Amino acid sequence: MSGLGWRLSGALACVGLFAFLTIANFVPQEKRLESPLLPDGGLRLGLDLQGGIHWVLGVDLEAAIDQELGFMAENLREVAEEKAFTVSGTRVEDGALVVETDGGADAEHVASWAKDAGLRSVGSDGGVLRYELTAAATKAVKQRGMAQVLEVLRRRIADPIQGIPDSVVTGQGEDRILVQIPGGQIDRTRARKLLEVTGHLEFKIVRDSAPSEELLRAKYPDGLPAGTGIATERDKETDRVLTAYLLPDQADITGEYLKDARVGFDRQQRPIVDFQFNTEGGRIFSKLTSENIGAQLAIVLDQRVYSAPSIRSRIASRGQIEGRFTAQEAADLAVVLRSGSLPIPVQIEEERTVGPALGADSIARGLRASALGLVVILVFVVGYYRMSGGYASLALLANLVLLMGVMSMFDATLTLPGIAGIVLTVGMAVDANVIIFERIREELRAGKSPRAAIATGFNKAFWTIMDANITTLITALVLFEYGTGPIKGFAVTLSIGVVTSVFAALVFTRLMFEVYPGTRSVPSLSI
Amino acid sequence: MIEIVPSGTHIDFIGHRRIAFAISGVLLLAGLAAIFFQGLRLGIDFAGGTEVAVRFDAGTKVDEGVLRSLAGACSILDPTVVRYGETDAPEFLIRFNRTAEVPAGGDDCPLTDEQRESLAAVDQATGANSASSKTPSIVDRLTMAMRNQIGALDILSVEYVGPRVGDELRRDGLSALGIAIVLILIYIAFRFSSRFAPGAVIALIHDVLITAGVFAIFRLEFDLSVLAALLAILGYSLNDTIIVYDRIRENMSLRTKYDLEDVMNRSVNQTLSRTLLTSLTTLAAVICLLLVGGEVIFPFALAMAIGIVVGTYSSIFIASPAVLYLERRFGDGAGSAATKKRSAA
Repeated sequence: MSGLGWRLSGALACVGLFAFLTIANFVPQEKRLESPLLPDGGLRLGLDLQGGIHWVLGVDLEAAIDQELGFMAENLREVAEEKAFTVSGTRVEDGALVVETDGGADAEHVASWAKDAGLRSVGSDGGVLRYELTAAATKAVKQRGMAQVLEVLRRRIADPIQGIPDSVVTGQGEDRILVQIPGGQIDRTRARKLLEVTGHLEFKIVRDSAPSEELLRAKYPDGLPAGTGIATERDKETDRVLTAYLLPDQADITGEYLKDARVGFDRQQRPIVDFQFNTEGGRIFSKLTSENIGAQLAIVLDQRVYSAPSIRSRIASRGQIEGRFTAQEAADLAVVLRSGSLPIPVQIEEERTVGPALGADSIARGLRASALGLVVILVFVVGYYRMSGGYASLALLANLVLLMGVMSMFDATLTLPGIAGIVLTVGMAVDANVIIFERIREELRAGKSPRAAIATGFNKAFWTIMDANITTLITALVLFEYGTGPIKGFAVTLSIGVVTSVFAALVFTRLMFEVYPGTRSVPSLSI
Repeated sequence: MIEIVPSGTHIDFIGHRRIAFAISGVLLLAGLAAIFFQGLRLGIDFAGGTEVAVRFDAGTKVDEGVLRSLAGACSILDPTVVRYGETDAPEFLIRFNRTAEVPAGGDDCPLTDEQRESLAAVDQATGANSASSKTPSIVDRLTMAMRNQIGALDILSVEYVGPRVGDELRRDGLSALGIAIVLILIYIAFRFSSRFAPGAVIALIHDVLITAGVFAIFRLEFDLSVLAALLAILGYSLNDTIIVYDRIRENMSLRTKYDLEDVMNRSVNQTLSRTLLTSLTTLAAVICLLLVGGEVIFPFALAMAIGIVVGTYSSIFIASPAVLYLERRFGDGAGSAATKKRSAA
């Protein structure tokens, strides 16, 4: 085979391979995984095309710092008891731990404790000492907080019974989490109940109660007893406060000790959530219930009292949460309890949710725009440049195959702006051919033979094409670096498209000219 | 052979540069004035806020006014309601940025007690307490209320951009534009000598400012996709300028004596057909996108289309004259009317 033959077969093989990768995308995923020939991965559709929920959750890491300082304060009180010095008060404010002492030896004790605990002193005023976490500790606390939140969210999504298949939870930056739930599997209200809720379950012995918060407060004219707070139970139907309870701030036992939670039904066949403690939790729970027979036990979920049954006898390890749940709500709550509570609250900071109807609509419109653009350009190029235009058209189609093939190879995500990028690429890919052809025409006008004109045309156009496309590539890469979500998809198709279109024009179009006219000396060129 | 520009065309583009400068000057001033005094109408990507697109079942009787008062009843402040789409299934875009505190006794939002309770439970469980963190649940309130009072509907999309994210997107967007301009400047200076780089950058900034200006003047919504289009224009509008500059460089090296103005004119004319053709093909593709791409992609396609037109104009009328002007003003005199012997080449 001649050199040209080899290059020609190389080019065809290359297009064939990428065409194969492109076509493989249309085979369903399961069949691809089974087949040894077909690639497992492939082009993915962005959530804006297949529909789905896209959330960026902000994690309140300042709360994690405050929690850590709170633990430190508890530790200080224990140490103070042990070493017999006095701390009159501690509080956490603005990310700092404030310790109040009477000064003198007490303050020195606190200072030495802080030194051991690795706290950084940020000022002292008499007996009042202020501490902050060191930069390294702050970073560690934040990282741990993020890792914990990610883990809980992943457990909730991966829950075998009520989870959301194919969903993705990934960390983004230092305090954000990206949640992507494809398809119209669940509505956003349910998704919020599954992912955004803290799920902090607490059991507290009721100290006092009254029909309303005002009445309860009225019982304590000098303020509520130290270490207590008020939580309310509301009527399930009218949201009116039924009872206000005076509860200790510190829970007697929390959902941390749960082993399992499942949907159950009460005697009236209303859905409830049955839960079971693990061994350690069971021990604490039975001790708590046996010591408080006759008292009321408030079951508090995320600051809301769900019920406050009276303890009639010791309870070992099982219990239930009643609420006016629908079956779905009970099932979701069970997932949240099973996967543990979020140690730090999260909040939706950005949302881009697309319904399946709009997604399908976008695909249809995107395809129509691409097809129309392609046809308009092919007709124009063939009409204007005749045979050479035919070459350019073939190169353009090959370029599209390369573009889709490369995207499939990298398992890239196709978004609506990504489709716009493809349409734009179709328009821009012809540019390189136009630059070459116009140059060839010019050389022909200057009296050169077709062969010489083709050679000069390609050579002189080379750097112009490179320059023109490198600047586009620069902006596409900047966009890739800064863009988020769908816009990133635009940057992806644009940058790959720029590279493949230059390749198609300089290699494929040139190869076609080498096939015909090639080395033949033709009297004229159809250009 | 079809030719859009007959060979041998010689139009005195450079000689008429004052007219071009005047036109561009007016456009730039109008655009800048609109940007500064009127401001860009920022989409929720940059301004923050919530946007809900819904489609009611075909034949549902509903209009903007009904939705606006319903949104108001559900404690949404200053909602914007726009009807779009041509089908008989009415589609609406509801946008808002602020919500009122729901009064203690509940508002007039047509919700059942059960729905109220369910939403309140989620709010409490998620620790939503500030007005901004409540926005995600307001969307649920609103859709429930619409279903209760008006009828069945599909949620087409929900977009919410919190204040922190909006600020970041704005900042990142501006820095992306800045970084792209600097990188391109470096590339041009590297490839073309410092004589040409400033002209190319003037043309670039010209294109981006006029495109943004058109968005400001016509109060078109400026969102993330428009910013992406501006960046793409930054890279693309340079293509034609590069074609012209390449030719100027080539023509300069052809002979030892030349008049810069004449060389530029010749170069612009010689490359005129490819400047127009490359832009036309890309513009054709973008117009297809504009016409059939749908509402979501429309702002992007519009910005691209404006940018391509302005970019082509500037490659012909602004990029080269700008170099000429700078040469005559600050250069070593190479561009002066008198011909000069070139030492190099």
